[in-house]
Amino acid sequence: MVRMTMLLWLLVVVSASAQTPISSLQQEIYDARDRVLPALVHIQPVIKDYRTGELKKQAVVGSGVIFHPDGYLVTNFHVAGKAERIICTLYDKEQVPALYIGGDPPTDIAVLKLQLDDYTGHIAIAALGNSDSVQVGQHVLAMGSPFSLSRTVSAGVVSTKDRFFSSEYRLPSGERTGHYNLWIQTDAAINPGNSGGPLVDLSGRVIGINSRATFLANNLGFAIPINIVKEVTASILEGGKVSRSWIGVQCQALQELEDYFGAQRNSGVLIASVDPGSPAERNYLKAGDIILAVDGDAVSARFVEELPRFYKKIASYAPGSEITLRVLRDENEYEFKLTTEELGDLQGEDFECADWGLTVKAITQQMQIENQLEDTLGVYVMGVKQVGAADIGGIHPGDIIISVNKMPVQGFADFIRTYNDLSAAATPRVLLAVNRNGAIRLAVLNVDSSQEGIVHE
Amino acid sequence: MSERPAIFPAAHFVLVFLLGLLLHGSGVNAQNFDFNRLDKVIHSYSVIVDMTIEISFGTHTNEQEERLLGTIVTEDGLVIFDGSSLTQEHVFSSFAGFSVKTTPTGIKITTFDDKTYDAEYVGTDRFSKLGFARIVSPEEVTFTPVRFATGHQFQVGSWVALYMLLPEFVNPPLAADVGMISAMLETPEKFPLTVGYSVLELASVIFDDELTPVGVLGSMMDPSIAQADAGGMTESFGEYDVALLGVITGERLEKLIADPPQRGKEDRAWLGITLQALTKDIADFLEIDAPGGIIVNDVVRSSPAEKAGLKVGDVIYEINAQPIGVNREERLPIFQRRIAQMGPGTSVEFSVFRPGDQKTDTLKLFAVLDKAPLAPSEAPEYENKPLEFTVRDLVLADYIRYNQDEENFRGVVVSRLQRGGRAIVGGLQIGDVVQRVGSLPISSIDDMEAAMKRIEADRPGEAIFFIWRNNKTMFINVKTGWE
Repeated sequence: MVRMTMLLWLLVVVSASAQTPISSLQQEIYDARDRVLPALVHIQPVIKDYRTGELKKQAVVGSGVIFHPDGYLVTNFHVAGKAERIICTLYDKEQVPALYIGGDPPTDIAVLKLQLDDYTGHIAIAALGNSDSVQVGQHVLAMGSPFSLSRTVSAGVVSTKDRFFSSEYRLPSGERTGHYNLWIQTDAAINPGNSGGPLVDLSGRVIGINSRATFLANNLGFAIPINIVKEVTASILEGGKVSRSWIGVQCQALQELEDYFGAQRNSGVLIASVDPGSPAERNYLKAGDIILAVDGDAVSARFVEELPRFYKKIASYAPGSEITLRVLRDENEYEFKLTTEELGDLQGEDFECADWGLTVKAITQQMQIENQLEDTLGVYVMGVKQVGAADIGGIHPGDIIISVNKMPVQGFADFIRTYNDLSAAATPRVLLAVNRNGAIRLAVLNVDSSQEGIVHE
Repeated sequence: MSERPAIFPAAHFVLVFLLGLLLHGSGVNAQNFDFNRLDKVIHSYSVIVDMTIEISFGTHTNEQEERLLGTIVTEDGLVIFDGSSLTQEHVFSSFAGFSVKTTPTGIKITTFDDKTYDAEYVGTDRFSKLGFARIVSPEEVTFTPVRFATGHQFQVGSWVALYMLLPEFVNPPLAADVGMISAMLETPEKFPLTVGYSVLELASVIFDDELTPVGVLGSMMDPSIAQADAGGMTESFGEYDVALLGVITGERLEKLIADPPQRGKEDRAWLGITLQALTKDIADFLEIDAPGGIIVNDVVRSSPAEKAGLKVGDVIYEINAQPIGVNREERLPIFQRRIAQMGPGTSVEFSVFRPGDQKTDTLKLFAVLDKAPLAPSEAPEYENKPLEFTVRDLVLADYIRYNQDEENFRGVVVSRLQRGGRAIVGGLQIGDVVQRVGSLPISSIDDMEAAMKRIEADRPGEAIFFIWRNNKTMFINVKTGWE
């Protein structure tokens, strides 16, 4: 009976609302929808995953939005960054292939280009807004393909516009990400599959790219502000990637530490950690130094939310620039001149050694620092296939292969050459030396054996 | 003795597979143990050990009750029992990297004439997992101890009798059982932990067919050795579901009883290498003709190994001219145990292959073993009550785990934090290495104590810790609540 009553009541409400004129808010939502939805793209990349010790191809689903008349669209790096081939479904449900143009793991942005040769429809472009003028509480729409449900629109508000995430977050491919920008948080529903899709204001402009959500939470979604996306996509269109300067400092909010360091409120960026081998270390900067100015421009990070601005400021110098830091140390001010270096790739290129049952990565400078290695020679073991030759031989993920058959590995290309030679010659046994946490272990891989590992039941 | 020099004090282990239940069920009556007689004997020196153990693990402290079968082994009331729970700290600290403390907080010992005594914990032998406690009695009591026979010749197929402690709700408390010596292992391959296993009662006395006590059931693994020695090697346990226990022989027991292991005062010997087994594959590849050996993966600075001239890549194939039968990773503990049991100060000769670019050299190297460095759980601690944290000294295992250099890496490790306490709220985490407090550098718990004393005297509103975590440093502000 109660249910009947409720149903009746609902019907009344629905019919009543159907009769009232459309509210201006509703109309705005319709308009915004119509401006952006035609530029929304359902993306189905086949990505290459090396994590299990063999190259596995996996179909994934994400979202994207077209921003350029030549068919360029933006999505997340974690959607399409490792794609082997990409199929996109446009708003008119037509499928077109897309090419990967470039990506930027630190901001989780990638650019694709639709292959429109055989496409006869009309390419719609979404207008990009200005994320600096976003207001907390402002209505927004999220568009994308949550759980593959394409052309889905959800609505909410901007919950906050300066959410900070530390660099502890990593992409599935291993790169630390997200600390060069603040994030727009929204309660518009964002689910897996929404990644790369647009967050849209009611004037129908894209203000962010939806990238993250908090699982087991109710509507905690996060979008990369579009102003960051504009810069990143421009760099990618220009050179396929984003070039960043690096000086090798990790910073910490000054709040709660100002008294201790004798620093003035709202003045300075505290260095918490200095990377070994970095320009900062070579120029004797150290933890506890407070950077007051970069090339005369005052910098400050009293709160964590102010850290991305500083990181971005340093990153935006052309690599090789000489910069001058004014630094507070022990209540005295000093000037440090240092030459920035290119940040370079966070993770190296992948390679599958199918005969050996393992996958490796080239070691980049950032990986060298993270793994406390002496150099970037050698290759990093990404994955070890279960019961493969490497597994039986005792190789672990994270090992650094430093020699093959007693010949030192002189980098990634050298390693691939050696592997290919041994593989072509069908070499039955290979001796690897690996660095594991500073100790050098040996492993013999019985390549030709089809033997299974000894299983104790 | 000439065949088996003193460096292998317990090289012969005897494996018992308890087939008692099976035998009872099948009606086999191969043995005529006089259990009537044995029953009287066993009750004269058996005791029930009731023990409360405090286990501290990170921010948690739990108490655990144990009821175990014990045996009086000296007239003044030294008791042996299953001490495997008390060696958990080594297992966990190897895996988790932070300190787990197991502390017996109260031991009551009840004899079978229904007298209950307090007892003091002495220590636990890492190898056999035998725990030792001494009865404390206001008046002088002379106990009747078990006297283990030495020199017993164990043989595969010979029968043994033993007892186990039944649960509290049944009476009588002891149940007799028979088993068989099922293998003679010179090189035990794998000995899983048997904590809580009901049939195979660790530390229970083994009787031969003449009812002579000839040993006790024990385990032979020391999972902490690998870590204390050089890291790694903790994963080779627990693969078999079948409980395999060895007999700790009368000879070994005689030594243990004469000089029981004392908590914090064990003197294991140590060489100072990270090690790997010389498998047949690797031996073939390196063209080394040895049935087994130890590949040196790393040499700890200033260790006996470095002083002896051992180098990374060397293959040790003999100790004191005795071959090393280590040809699988799982057998590494055999070598580690041999070294550990030799005792500090022992001179050892190693026969070593040194593979070179052109040819492999054969060398004899001499090492004088040192006392093993402390395990993380053994490191001295300092507790600061006002700010609710505990730190311990850095030990070798930390340097290995953190891949840091002893010369350049200083600090103390946060080993415990009070939940909701000031330090944890300030952001300190277990495993953080505190390198400075305020402007004072910290290299030891003494430095820490001095720094905290100064802070407590000055009573500032906050204490600034400079810490190392995950290969990065940072500052942490702990509010003291004094302002």
